Amino acid sequence: MAEHAHHHQPYPDDMWVFPRRETAAQDLVSRTIAPISRYRIALIITGVLLALGVVGFIARAATDGFDDHAPWGYYMAVFSFLFMITGAAPLVAVGFRFTKSHWRRPLSRISELFAVLGVLNVLMFIPLLMVLPPLKNPEVVGHQLEIRRSIWFGGPIGSPYWWDMLGVVGLAVLGMAILWLSAMPDLAGAKLTATGFRRKLYGLLAGRWYGSKRQWNIQKAGLAMLGAFYFMFLLFVQFIVASEFGMALVPGWKDSIFPPLYTIVSFQSSLATILLVLFILRKWGGYEQYIGVSPFWSASKILFALTMLWTYHLWAFFITFWYGRLQVEQNILKYFLFESYGWVFFVNVVFSFFTPFFILLWNPVRKKAWGAPLAACFILVGTLAFNIRIFVGAFNAGHTFDHFLETVPPPAWPDLWDIFMVGGFIGGAVFIYLLAARVFPILSVWEIKEGALYQKMENFMHGRYMVLAKPE
Amino acid sequence: MPKLPVLGLFQDANNAADAGDALRQAGISDKDYDFLTDAPYPEGAFGERVEHHRLYIFPFIGAVLGLTSGVLLTSMTQMAYPLVQGGKPILSLPPMAIICYEGTMLGAILFTILGIMFESRLPSPKLGLYDTRITDGYIGVLVQCDEAQLGRVSGILTQAGAVDVKRQAAAAATA
Repeated sequence: MAEHAHHHQPYPDDMWVFPRRETAAQDLVSRTIAPISRYRIALIITGVLLALGVVGFIARAATDGFDDHAPWGYYMAVFSFLFMITGAAPLVAVGFRFTKSHWRRPLSRISELFAVLGVLNVLMFIPLLMVLPPLKNPEVVGHQLEIRRSIWFGGPIGSPYWWDMLGVVGLAVLGMAILWLSAMPDLAGAKLTATGFRRKLYGLLAGRWYGSKRQWNIQKAGLAMLGAFYFMFLLFVQFIVASEFGMALVPGWKDSIFPPLYTIVSFQSSLATILLVLFILRKWGGYEQYIGVSPFWSASKILFALTMLWTYHLWAFFITFWYGRLQVEQNILKYFLFESYGWVFFVNVVFSFFTPFFILLWNPVRKKAWGAPLAACFILVGTLAFNIRIFVGAFNAGHTFDHFLETVPPPAWPDLWDIFMVGGFIGGAVFIYLLAARVFPILSVWEIKEGALYQKMENFMHGRYMVLAKPE
Repeated sequence: MPKLPVLGLFQDANNAADAGDALRQAGISDKDYDFLTDAPYPEGAFGERVEHHRLYIFPFIGAVLGLTSGVLLTSMTQMAYPLVQGGKPILSLPPMAIICYEGTMLGAILFTILGIMFESRLPSPKLGLYDTRITDGYIGVLVQCDEAQLGRVSGILTQAGAVDVKRQAAAAATA
């Protein structure tokens, strides 16, 4: 609880919170089974949305089949939107654990829990592989390429399909391994009081966890190693998605900036989503005593930096093509930025850069708990616009085996099934996350307790400040 | 003769550290007792032994195996089906690197997960001597000793300030 009220201080009363470690485990675990009416309503709404998404998917498959990738542009856009957020989200926990940031503790599990959505990513990825054109041109017309441009050149066996699939599956497995290892101590504690199915599940997942020194050491080393691999593998899979389903489908689009830009958008949107979930839990979830203002205050600076990086990469992409002035480069700029998807690009820039930039720049807002989550809302809309203009554009950019984009294709607007799929699968992702939050404690109990061991309030001159032990 | 577990429960972490000192002075090897906690305590906070593990070896082995598989797969398929692409050599490194990287990473990841399970002796459906109060912040000092030493060890733990001392029979009921 916040315990500093009478002294002058330059930060809000609930900047830091001091959870009681004796009751934290019981309290946080019991919340996974407590009936919450808001939760049920959210579950019903997102469940209905998921059903609509499935209807849209079936209708699209029945109408257009899987022979041509063009009708699946919006499906790809929503897949990429979800993959960007859910793929990079566990990295937030990993990264701030690496840097030993104390303020990260409330958001660690929130970010790791996104790993369960790896299952949705894998399932959604399968139809995309079915519509991905083969490397070899089945029917060469005129001056078309015999083998389309891709990162795979002529081989090896299984490319691109099996290697793409292996990447997405590998990332999902790795994310869930991080979640499992991180949640193991909490589940071991929870299984002692759980009953029925939960007890069996927790027992299976927690195994023989006692909390011995050796186990804590292995967990720490394991999380560090898996975290490092997650970072290395995430960038690889993002490179595959950005190259394979973006650039490679647009005749003549060769750009070394786009995969890094994709990664930056992913980092920005995943941090934004985590802050939004954190704010919802603090404001409406009853977690005020565990979530102070400090995570928002600290993370807002990183969100600001990512917002700036987004602009830098976008500018680097633009200026290279603008200065090059080849016909293909001009057409790509017109297609993605100024003509065909000009309005979508406008929304993208306003929501991904200008609005969050000014929100996060403005100290009176940035320092509030709602400042960064407000910017996050805009960023998520901007990210969706980014994915629509890039992937709907890429899927409708003409013949994949052409040498270059000779004309500027018109935009592809969504039909009813596209709207169902975009809204439905976003709702579906929230639905799965909500279910996962009822299995795993939404806050990392052992990290909260560890933090409580190391912090207390002390007087210093005229102020009262938090004193934090840093054993490493 | 198999050793039997005794679990002392401490409300105060300082008392648990004192129990560790007392056990060592009583001639109990530091390999025979362990501290069970609900959260990771700083290294050496209880005066415990330094724990060594071999987890770092696992990803290395996995990475080597994955890289080898990647190199073999890419080189052998390209040698078996020699198609010249854009005037590049049959065995050109850039396209091979992508598969090799993916193989290396997947091998390292898989072996790390296996290593964690092996080094932590996980998973196992049965829980040994434990007490739910450890989850609430109590410190458990788990001692493995001969049957003849049970009384003496229990006495040491109680003297150090244990609020409860449990033996195997009680543990079976808890589990």
